[in-house]
Parts: sequence; structure tokens; C-alpha cells
Amino acid sequence: MSKTREMTAPLLEISHLSVMLKKRRDRLKAVDDLSFKVYPGEILGLVGESGAGKSMTGSAILGLIDPPLYISSGEIIFDGNRIDQNASSIRGSKISMIFQDPLVSLNPLRKIGDQLVEAIRTHINMSKAEAFDRAKTLLAEVGIDPRRINAYPHTFSGGMRQRVVIALALAPEPSLIIADEPTTALDVSVQAQILDLLKRLCRERGTSIILITHDMGVIAETTDRVAVLYAGRLAEIGETASVLKSPRHPYTKGLVAATPRIDADSYKKKLFQIPGAMPDLEQIPQGCAFHPRCDFANAQCKIQQPPLFEDRSACWLLKDGSEIS
Amino acid sequence: MSYVTAHQLTRHFDLSDPWIVRQITGRQKQILTAVDQVSFSIKKGETYALVGESGSGKSTIAQMVSGLLRPSMGSVHIDGHDFHDGGLDALSLRRMRQRVQMVFQSPYASLNPRWKVGDIILEPIKSFHLIEDSQAQQKRVAELLDQVGLSARDVNKYPHEFSGGQRQRISIARALASQPEMIICDEPTSALDVSVQAQVLNLLKDLQHEFLLTYLFISHDLAVISTMANTIGVLKNGQLVEEAQASELLTNPQHDYTKMLLSSAPDIGSIKI
Repeated sequence: MSKTREMTAPLLEISHLSVMLKKRRDRLKAVDDLSFKVYPGEILGLVGESGAGKSMTGSAILGLIDPPLYISSGEIIFDGNRIDQNASSIRGSKISMIFQDPLVSLNPLRKIGDQLVEAIRTHINMSKAEAFDRAKTLLAEVGIDPRRINAYPHTFSGGMRQRVVIALALAPEPSLIIADEPTTALDVSVQAQILDLLKRLCRERGTSIILITHDMGVIAETTDRVAVLYAGRLAEIGETASVLKSPRHPYTKGLVAATPRIDADSYKKKLFQIPGAMPDLEQIPQGCAFHPRCDFANAQCKIQQPPLFEDRSACWLLKDGSEIS
Repeated sequence: MSYVTAHQLTRHFDLSDPWIVRQITGRQKQILTAVDQVSFSIKKGETYALVGESGSGKSTIAQMVSGLLRPSMGSVHIDGHDFHDGGLDALSLRRMRQRVQMVFQSPYASLNPRWKVGDIILEPIKSFHLIEDSQAQQKRVAELLDQVGLSARDVNKYPHEFSGGQRQRISIARALASQPEMIICDEPTSALDVSVQAQVLNLLKDLQHEFLLTYLFISHDLAVISTMANTIGVLKNGQLVEEAQASELLTNPQHDYTKMLLSSAPDIGSIKI
């Protein structure tokens, strides 16, 4: 699977992206030298704790970075074109976004059908009647009875609303969907349905998805590859099964071990804990950002920021291809 | 001998329109049964977890057990006493409140932003007249901060100076301040990041061990519950649909709803190579 992926051209390529925050005289790095690729038809997970730069990366792809934030360096190439300076032509048409709270994304005063027709006609040249038919097809595709096309958002439950939001995101037939914590506000049973829906859409339509979440369980069950972010930097990236089963970066190791598991014996044991917390933007340590919390840190970790070794993990201890035990 | 016994606990909420509106429109009264005849018991020093989706009545039960909400029917006995039977005098009621404490979901909402951390933790000590001497009080606050992994120097800081995980530690220190026998944890880690969640859950486990605390642990997250609970009760629409030892319920669920919850819970252990 990974071989075929490497042979196809990436749909989205981010290289050395940095996003800075202007704060009085300071320049703080919110996203620091981030590089990754998204291939057609895959689900890439962006995982990390609050403040890791997950959502910021999503916003940067869509060109939604506004002052005091600005992209200070790097390139974002989508489908062969650079979009980091001007994303307005692809925003919403080639790349669409699903946000956490479906109540905020929908206009409460307009019927969902009208909102869908508007989204379709903004991007595709179509008559109103055609767009209306297409809206019905989209609703059916996300599992909503097309007869409810004239209903208002408040008449739907949270999960159904998120389905409407997904239908809206699909309306312009995007090739990439950025889903920012799409199920965090939902109950587990509804969350499972929405994640299944995203997986199905990805399979059937060949749409790529960037799934931003803090939940390692969601990553495990949904994504093909995963990028682990820490303090705005890429800590580790790779096939999801490989990253979660045999993590190489000490932060990923800690994160996986600290995640509670559904297991009959787990109440007898304590969870693994990483000491401390993610640093604030003002106080990102020199060298590897994780070194103050890392059991394996050595002198080099404190001075020099590690590059990504073997296209996998940014940790000095992996310099010679060795494993941390 | 169980420490907490809830018997046929029921709570109705009246969602009806005002009387005059009902007369005009001819609508009936609308009663919501948030909790419907729930019975369970918790042994001293053990953790009983309630799991369920939003609206299942988890928090309503927590409020009834802690004495914040009066049950419509049924009763909760804690160490043989009932908050709501009316037979308790003011002093016994205060004594019960001291023995049962709560830790809430959002440490951003449950701490007064205008109070210093030291004062937040000191309040239960003063209010229950546990320590009268002010130097001894300060010593006790420092000791509590130390127990939850904060520094005694933090007494003069305000809550906004702390991260989410540290604030939840302050909430736990405040709960411990009255020397409780039982702590009701209502989604104590759902606002926290994974690595911080692990720290707080481990802290709760250590404290339980040290002080023989009894926990009523409420969460929607089966993975969190499976690391904490001895016994698990599954709530659906206010009814307890299944209850079993944690190991039994997680490996051999009986009720369809429990099976559905288990299969839809995202689990990092589910990954296959």
C-alpha cells in the first residue's frame, strides 16, 4: 500500500511551512518548519495536544491565516499549484472544511436545502432546479432523508447536523476535506457513525481527508497515516498502525502509553504519565522542544533542533537508525 | 457492607408550559424522567463508574448523591445517612457535606477567578471549622497543594495562572481539604489533554489508595472508565441497563446497548497491523 502511494503524485505537499505570531516586538513560531504530504484518497490524521499547531496548519492550507499571524516561510502546493500566497481560488471549491461545532457552521435562519443550493451554485455553474436535485442526492449520500431538504438546522440532532455540514463540504466536489475535530462535540455512538461516513466518502469518491483530532482512539480507528505534532513541530509521521504499534519518538511513545485503553485489567494498573505539560509559545525550549519532558534527552537535544530522520521521526536518538528501548 | 446505597433513585423534571398557557392551548403537563428507578451500591474504598451518553442522567445522579438535588422518589444513603430524609439536624447535615465532595468537569468554570488558590483551598477548612489556628491553616493548605503535585508557593496565585491540568489539581485539593470519605468525580478529565489526563487519573488513584476514598466516577469515555472503575453501571435514558464488575462488563457485555457502546468507542488498542 505504501509503495503505490509513493508512486502517485501527492495531492497536497507542505514543505518547511512556518507560521509566526506577531506579539509586540516578539515573533513567536506557532508552526515551525512543518513538512508533510497528503496523497489522493487517503485519510491523514493530525494529532497533538492543545497548542500543538494542528488547527493552525489546517487554517494555513485554506489561506485563513490573518494578522497577527502570518506565514513566514515555506510552500503549500496543491495539485501542482502553489497556494500559500493566494488560496481563495481553491478555498471551498477544491478544499473544504468541516468544523467541530455544526451549530456554528450552519445558518439557523435558512433551510438546509437553500444553504446547500448556495454552496453548490457558488462553485458549480448550475441552474437552481439542478442544484436542488443535487442537494437531495448529497443529503441521501450522507444518510439524511432527502424529504427533509426544507427543514431548518434546529430540527436536526447534533449528529444529523454534522451530516448536513459534511454534505455542505461535499457540495463543490472537493478533492480534499479538512475535518477539524469533527466529532468532538458528539456522543460516541454518533461519533462512530460520522467517522464511518467520512471513511466511506473517502473510499467511494477518492476524496482525501486531513483529520485533525486530539483523540488517539479516533486516529487508530480512522486514519491511514498519522502526523504527530508537538509545539508546532512534527514529532513523528508514518503509517498509523506502525506509529501506534511501534512509536519511535519519545513523545509519541508517551502519548500512546498515556492513552487509556478499554481493557479488563487496566483498572489495576496506573497509566503511563509524561511529566509536565506542553510549553507555551513564548517558552518553547531551545533544541528539541520536547527535551525537558524527555527521559532520554542528551546534550545535543538541548542545543540543536532535530531534523526528521528516515522520513519518520524528529529525534536525535534515532540519528543512527537506532531504536530507543 | 456498602458505603453508598442508592435505592430506586428517580428524578422528574417538570418541563410544562405555565398553567395559564396550558389552559389556553389545552396542552398537557410535560414531565421528563431524567433518572428512573436507579439502584446501586458502592463499597468503601472502591470506584463505581456510571457511563452513558449525553442526556442519560449521569450528572443528575451525581447531584442527587451529593445532596445538591432532591430525588423525586427513592433514596441515597451514605454511610447510613440520607441527605434528604428531613430527620437530620443542621449539624449532621454539615457533617455529611464535609464527607462528600465533588470534582467538576471544567476547572475553568468551577474555580472562582477572583480568589487566590490559597483561599479557594482554605474555604472548606474554615467553613467546616476543621482548623482554627491560622498558621496551622496555612500549613494544611501547603500540605494539600503538595499532595496534588503543586507547590506551596502557589498559594498567592490566581486560577488563570495555571494550565487546565493544574486547575483540576486545585479542584482536587479543594475537595480533599474537608477530609472527605467520598469524592464524586463528574467527567473530571474530559476537558484535559491526553498526557495531562493520565496525570490527573493517576493522582486520583494514588489519593484513593492513601485516604481510602470512595469514588463515584462519571464519564462518557469507556477507556477512561476502564482504567478507573471496580464496578461499572451503564445508563441509558435514565435507566440502569447493565451493571457488572469492570472486567466482566468489558469482556462479556450482556445488554445490546453496552455492546453498542463498546463497539463504537474509539480505542487505541483496536489497531491491527
